Amino acid sequence: MTSPQPPSFESFAVARLETRLAAKYRARIAARQTLPARPASWRDLPEDLSPQLAQALRGRGLERLYSHQREAWDLARAGRHLVVATPTASGKTLCYNLPVLESVLAGGRKALYLFPTKALAQDQVAELMELSRALSDAGGPGIKAFTFDGDTPGDARKAVRTRGDIVVSNPDMLHQAILPHHTKWAQFFEGLAYVVVDELHSYRGVFGAHVANVFRRLRRVCRFYGVEPTFIFASATIANPAELAGQLCGASVAPVLESGAPQGERHLLLWNPPVINPDLGIRASARSQSTRIARMAAKLGLKAIVFARSRLMVEVITKYLKDVFDHDPRRAPRVLAYRGGYLPSERRRGEQAMRAGKVDLVVATSALELGVDIGALDVAILNGYPGTVAATMQRLGRAGRRLRPSLGVLVATSDPLDQFLVRHPEFIFGASPEHARVHPDQLLILLEHVRCAAFELPFRDGDSFGAESLAEMLAYLRDEGVLQHQGERWYWVADSYPANSVSLRSVAEGNFVVIDTTGGGQTIIAEVDYSSAPGTIYEGAIYMVQSQPYQVERLDWTGRKAFVTRTRADYYTDAIDYTRLKILDRFEGVAVGGGVAANGEVHLVRRYPGYKKIRYYSHDNVGYGNIDLPDQEMHTTAVWWQAEPSALEAALPDRQQAIEGFLGAAYALHHVAVLRAMAELHDLGRAVGDGQGTWFAVVGGDGRGQLRGPDNAPVDPGARDRFEPTLFLYDNYPGGVGLSAPLYDAAAQLVADARDLVAGCACSAGCPACVGPVLLGDETNVLTPRQAALAVLKLLL
Amino acid sequence: MSADTGSAATLAPSFSDRVRRLMVGREPVRSKVPDEVALREALGAQALAPGVLLIERRLGARLRHGRVVLKPDGAVVERLPSSLRVLMAPKVATQPPSAPLVYLDTETSGLSGGSGTWAFLTGIVSADGEGWRLRQYLLTRLDAEAEYLEAVRGAITGAGAMVSYNGRSFDVPLLTTRFRLCEQPDPFARLPHLDLLAPVRRAFGRVWPDCRLATAESRLLGLEREGDMPGSAAPLAWLDWLRRGDTTGLAAVLRHNRWDLFSLVGLVPVLGEAFEDPVSLGADTHAVAAHHIGHGQPDRALWMLRADRHRLGTAGLLELARLHRRRGEWGEACAIWETLAAAGEQAALAALAKYHEHRSRDLLRALGYAIALSPSPERDRRCERLEAKLALKRGA
Repeated sequence: MTSPQPPSFESFAVARLETRLAAKYRARIAARQTLPARPASWRDLPEDLSPQLAQALRGRGLERLYSHQREAWDLARAGRHLVVATPTASGKTLCYNLPVLESVLAGGRKALYLFPTKALAQDQVAELMELSRALSDAGGPGIKAFTFDGDTPGDARKAVRTRGDIVVSNPDMLHQAILPHHTKWAQFFEGLAYVVVDELHSYRGVFGAHVANVFRRLRRVCRFYGVEPTFIFASATIANPAELAGQLCGASVAPVLESGAPQGERHLLLWNPPVINPDLGIRASARSQSTRIARMAAKLGLKAIVFARSRLMVEVITKYLKDVFDHDPRRAPRVLAYRGGYLPSERRRGEQAMRAGKVDLVVATSALELGVDIGALDVAILNGYPGTVAATMQRLGRAGRRLRPSLGVLVATSDPLDQFLVRHPEFIFGASPEHARVHPDQLLILLEHVRCAAFELPFRDGDSFGAESLAEMLAYLRDEGVLQHQGERWYWVADSYPANSVSLRSVAEGNFVVIDTTGGGQTIIAEVDYSSAPGTIYEGAIYMVQSQPYQVERLDWTGRKAFVTRTRADYYTDAIDYTRLKILDRFEGVAVGGGVAANGEVHLVRRYPGYKKIRYYSHDNVGYGNIDLPDQEMHTTAVWWQAEPSALEAALPDRQQAIEGFLGAAYALHHVAVLRAMAELHDLGRAVGDGQGTWFAVVGGDGRGQLRGPDNAPVDPGARDRFEPTLFLYDNYPGGVGLSAPLYDAAAQLVADARDLVAGCACSAGCPACVGPVLLGDETNVLTPRQAALAVLKLLL
Repeated sequence: MSADTGSAATLAPSFSDRVRRLMVGREPVRSKVPDEVALREALGAQALAPGVLLIERRLGARLRHGRVVLKPDGAVVERLPSSLRVLMAPKVATQPPSAPLVYLDTETSGLSGGSGTWAFLTGIVSADGEGWRLRQYLLTRLDAEAEYLEAVRGAITGAGAMVSYNGRSFDVPLLTTRFRLCEQPDPFARLPHLDLLAPVRRAFGRVWPDCRLATAESRLLGLEREGDMPGSAAPLAWLDWLRRGDTTGLAAVLRHNRWDLFSLVGLVPVLGEAFEDPVSLGADTHAVAAHHIGHGQPDRALWMLRADRHRLGTAGLLELARLHRRRGEWGEACAIWETLAAAGEQAALAALAKYHEHRSRDLLRALGYAIALSPSPERDRRCERLEAKLALKRGA
């Protein structure tokens, strides 16, 4: 580990690939950067380290620590909560393993490790077992590390509770199985010295808000057993690791940010697909570029990973690569798809195949972004910007482990965000990562956890939990009949187990299973979460697993089941959705140029009326189908802009053009807002309507803006007396997770950003990189959609 | 809450209003203050502390329960049937063998477990001189749990062992959780415990459709409860009392709990009998015999298998033959094997092949049985070895 590596075959091949790409596709490379190899910064092993632990480390070739590992040790030993935010593969795990092992060996204390997924937990236990063997070899007692998750058999659970020194689990198990049964874990809690939380950056948004509350409950239970464990967090690079960690654990957290680990040379390319229609500003698809780069890498004998942004795109790219590399069914496949929704056993098989080096090309979603160990890769190709700099860096970090040189390529799509980034490479190369935000006091989430906490231990008068008034929340739960107030305490009195009805991953409930009925059998082949079900497994949908297409024959909505059969369809399907919004309550508002900006609460109805069939390769639209599903409803928060009717009339007298202007402005605003909010595109939604739910605007099949009524029937824009289009950006979670208020505060900046995005675009009439896809009619438009959007944005500034 | 946030709260909509706007259509439950005096009178109970009621009854020595008579003189540890006594855990007794047994059963606020589940009623039966003493501790106020648990602990103190039905996985863990939540010592940690579900499962698990207490008491005690409340209705009865002051359901809960308790009392001697003489009670003789073998009593197992020989299945017969063989009773063992071998039973064929090869030294018969075995590498080796031995013998 300490000796420099001799130049390998791969290091030459990586350089060759980079040179070849640069020579052949000079015009497509918007920017390139080479990060030089960096030497290690070493510190001595701490003097207060147990001799057997020191010996075990030396036995594994560790004579010294990286500077950040030593820094973490010093803080942990001083009892400080800390967060380590250093790059991928910099030896973060030792930062927490070392103080934890010391407290187990010297003090007989215990530790709880939490990983966001089961797979990561299993990896970690394997690593702890190795350390334990090294300790036994050094003559000391070993340590007992157990995973505790949904797969832990009932008869093994008692041993985990009573004999585990380190219990490795996930927040969901802590929430549903450990805390509600804390008395069974009394021995464990009484000895608990450390809580280790890895992959901190993934605890954002809804999940983060839930986990912050689970930690409030955890600390409450710890106080009952008289302990105050130290939290150690590990994170990918984000701008505010200490702030995020502090919000999660409710205490001040010390940051460890300077990595002392060495790094191999890294080449980064920003890749913009070539313009294939200069008039329309249409570029070749990112998909075609990503598959091309992947093919070149594989042909040079390199191992590469392609990250796609959606499960569908994973399947499409996998199919294209398999068509090239895996056409001979007698040979082991060289291309593997890896994404959420596959069954755990299938994912484990994939991970093993990757670790064993049997796979040359992996196509993955963010399911592989986290630290699942898949061995060394040389090239990481990102098919589209993943939405955050932190995720970009972590995905690129997948290539070049073990100090080898690596190549990372970010292939821009025609999305505005991507186009913005290739024009501003400093955003990525300047390594200015974003702020991760959580909103732990989101009303519904907080209330659910007060419910769970009250089940675990009675609250006392005067206690607090979160920023809302606990007394009011408890009174609410009493009125609901689940609590009773007696003698200064609030007791749980319902015949139920509240944690079972709270999922940390969503605000809605209930996963769907996909059942293959081909040949008369019934085999579960995948799971789909509730919120993505209506858009992916409607009747008639093509659903793909390892690029094998299945057609959904029947969807049992209440039973949460989709029945599918294998198909040989030469198309895939894409759902169409319409969203209608009604303003319920305006919290605040401010006058802008020709209208108002405001934020508040809205009622939202989403409908999936149908889907498109799209042929492979040509991507032609080859048909439509209807979707018959219940409307999805929720209350949430939104920021909105409303044009004053006379000002709008003056700026855009043609209502049809006004509608298209608003749709284009909404498209641009949605994308710049996502960048501001460190959100992902689906965390926010956009809509254009009248704010009363009487009409809403959509882009129709002909590419033109249309007005629709509540029943989806077309509405004539000219026939309405009052025409007051409203542009919404809404928080896409029931109750909202705190995304709207910061957007309202930055409203003027957002509109200015959106105007710059549209004004600075290279297209002529409007394109997917600014106002969304446009179809130009035969008539000579006085105003292009791009000009209309600019007019609207100017009105709102 | 500080003063300034208080004044802000008067301007903002209340928490409930805000939540109700997000979650449509939930009706709040209105509560009424429960009348504890009325409850005490309705149940004929005494108040041990505010919120803790004791319903205590003394019952005569010749108490009938179904078709059995419950005799108090058996309710001490040393009089437990020996087959059941070996099932107690922990084994280490802290009391003398003459210490009394307590029969214990709880009613709870739910079946889901976890620290939000209450054991609101703990019923305890013990022998009291010539008769029986029934004590039912009822929690009527949630803030009285500490006093309630102290009273329960007091009633257990001095007992030599406890008897329950499914208490090992349900009642005891639940009460242990409650003691821990109230930061009190756990009286169950070292109390020997006989959970009757284990012997019932052993003796009747393959004979009855299920092993619920209701099934056991109906089949073994001939008890038919009239007008009993199903156990699953108990949580609601208690919650109705807490939320609405409704006293009507609790009397039925007490009666149900009392029936459960006396069924425990009645089951002990009957189960003891089932382990002595399984045939008379329709128990699974082979399973009972296996219990005795596991507890070092092969002779007893042999005796009961032989007595029930005509009802035994193949596994039971093989067990019987194995016990005969271990005692050197080869004739009896062979008779059983031969019957089974005639029906093609592999284990019997193998046993006979071994017997004739190694004991009777009738190699030809041994080979006959070995050839009849289903093809396997082991069978082929045996046949080859026997043929080699036969050839050697012929040569000699």
